[in-house]
Amino acid sequence: MFTPEGMTRVLIAATKSQMEPVIRELYRQHLFHIEEFVEKDSKEYEGYRIGTPLPAANETSRELIRLRGITSSFGIREDEEVPVSQKVKSSHLREVIEKELPLLEQETEELLAKRAKLDAQIKEYEQKIETLRPFQDVPFDLSLLRGFRMFSVYCGYISKSLSLDVPHEIFSADTKKGKFVIIVVQQKDRAGVDQALPEAQFQAVPIPDEDGLARDRIGFYESQILARKGEMEEINRKLDDIRTRHRDLFLACHELLSADVEMAEAPLRFATTGRSFVVEGWVPTVHLERLKEGIHYATGGKVFVYECEPSEISDVPPTEYHNPGFAKPTEMLMDVYSRPRYTELDPTLIVSIIFPIFFGIILGDVGYGAVLLVLSLALHRFLKGEEARRLAIILRNASISSIIFGILFSEIFGFSLPWKPLLFSRHLNIGGHAGGHGPDVTGLMIMAVWIGILQITLGRVLGMVNHARQDHGSHRVKAVLANLGWIMVLWGILLMIWASFSMPFMPDLTGMPPIGMGLNLASIGGLVMIVTGVLFIILDSPLEVVELPTILSHVLSYARLVGVGLSSVAIAMVVNFIAIGLIIEPQLESLTALGVIFIIIGGIVLVVGHLLNTILGMLGGALQSLRLQYVEFFTKFYKGGGRKYNPFGMKKRFMED
Amino acid sequence: MAEAAAVAATEMTVEMVKASQLGMKALGAGLAVGLTGIGTGLAEMAIGSAAVGATAENKDIFGLVLLLTVIPETIVIFGLVVGLLLLF
Repeated sequence: MFTPEGMTRVLIAATKSQMEPVIRELYRQHLFHIEEFVEKDSKEYEGYRIGTPLPAANETSRELIRLRGITSSFGIREDEEVPVSQKVKSSHLREVIEKELPLLEQETEELLAKRAKLDAQIKEYEQKIETLRPFQDVPFDLSLLRGFRMFSVYCGYISKSLSLDVPHEIFSADTKKGKFVIIVVQQKDRAGVDQALPEAQFQAVPIPDEDGLARDRIGFYESQILARKGEMEEINRKLDDIRTRHRDLFLACHELLSADVEMAEAPLRFATTGRSFVVEGWVPTVHLERLKEGIHYATGGKVFVYECEPSEISDVPPTEYHNPGFAKPTEMLMDVYSRPRYTELDPTLIVSIIFPIFFGIILGDVGYGAVLLVLSLALHRFLKGEEARRLAIILRNASISSIIFGILFSEIFGFSLPWKPLLFSRHLNIGGHAGGHGPDVTGLMIMAVWIGILQITLGRVLGMVNHARQDHGSHRVKAVLANLGWIMVLWGILLMIWASFSMPFMPDLTGMPPIGMGLNLASIGGLVMIVTGVLFIILDSPLEVVELPTILSHVLSYARLVGVGLSSVAIAMVVNFIAIGLIIEPQLESLTALGVIFIIIGGIVLVVGHLLNTILGMLGGALQSLRLQYVEFFTKFYKGGGRKYNPFGMKKRFMED
Repeated sequence: MAEAAAVAATEMTVEMVKASQLGMKALGAGLAVGLTGIGTGLAEMAIGSAAVGATAENKDIFGLVLLLTVIPETIVIFGLVVGLLLLF
């Protein structure tokens, strides 16, 4: 429960003729985490070599790439969440891949090619229209602008007035882009025109290679484009039809081919000789027998399966979580930080209990809790994807805890419930008619400090366990003692404080018999604990002494449970006061038509304000309580950095054997 | 002017002194939260921008950089604690 799944190192060796059945069986079982074989990189190395892919690899990958081309053109994602009503037999799927799929692929490819061609044509016509556009008001045949030997024709826009002192003919039309002109001059007068045109800021326009009126040509091309678009729509409809009818088939084929490729390429992770192969990897110890039996059965006992002894293993096993169902979603929060190492304690269960409690203490409000509960249930129902669902469950647990603490704090949307707070009061004196004692900040603070003391002590105890499990020799003793030292310093400081001051909700040790120098029995005990603790810490690592002030800062850091919580209460109460006390209530005294509008505005302020506060409360509550786990709790014992257990094989969504 | 001040000084009642003390407390609490907030903001500014950059390069370190980013948050929490203790 507090440790990851136990793993056993397994070595499988056989002749190459057994390679395929072994791969197939390992893939089917989806249990074996392959340790990749790394070839020694020296020239004279003679030994195992990396294996070569199975013969079918090439063709299967080619087929897979082709299928991926098709699915991506349909916009089908391989990880798309689709409801699977019935799984397909893989033997049936193979037949389909052989017979039906090529036809479908061919049909799709043809349609796609046709569509691309139509698309290119449309682009071309649009280009032509673009060049014709300036000439659309020209009332004569475009062919009259080309093919002269004695004349030169200039077409383009001018933005200043043009004065030509050579004989010429000019057509001009006003357009949005400026004045469009066509100027015809004799060849011999070109020099004069070339000089005059830049002064009028002339921008040349190419003469289109068309016959007839420009307007008619534009009309013709537009009708062509329309026709092509119609054809394209027809093709798109056909493609859509194929997509809806065969999407599941494509996905199933994709799954089968990916599996085939992965199996065919597995030998790249094996160590091989001319006639045999060896593969090493990890398997959860509880499933070891199943793996062995499966391989034995699949190969008729022609394979050697060997369980490695712990002394023969040099590398750390991969980590697979091993938690009760309740704590499973919290594994996500652990992965965000870092997966535990195999040898480490796995704090997932602790976090899965403490995180919602902290969230509840921060956002202890029945109303907000209920809103978030509904939200999380809706998210869980409508969201697809494992991670999102897990997040929704974490939010659900947190909001349930929020409701429970709301009952204890007697809070609903900033109002108080019909009973006095069972825990500490968080009601602030906000609003005109506010009264009462206000929040019990001292009580809340001391509660937060107690939570901090307990969680940090727990963290240090776990640290002792971790060091005892992981380290060896003298370092082990020192590290365990150092953690004990931290606990002693913390509690020593507490003893000294209790001996000097009397505080509510804390033991009062001021009445202990004094011994001397203003110290009593408890403070002497505290002092001894602090000195011993510091010695233990120095024994392990003298530099750690600079970290001593963190004892205080980390414990006080838990005050955020109160601070962030109170600010959330304050916002809720302020929203209520503005919306109800300042806007709605004065109108209710003498209701007018304008008053109704004010009441509606007040209602909007109320809803928007509480919505905002819900979001703030959720973010603040989640981030702050997560931070307390990550920074204040984990730094005491947790390193992380474990490898993910990634068994060879896949979860079949569409097919079965 | 001096006369008016003298009159005011003589008429200072216990209630006025109490109210004034309350006001100073509120000011102190506001300063405690506000200034520490600025401090936290300044500290998180640099860490946050570096964290976003680092996450863009490698998504796996998101948890670590989130942790680094929220470390200065303690400053403003201390400010809040001081503020609350002043007020209540």
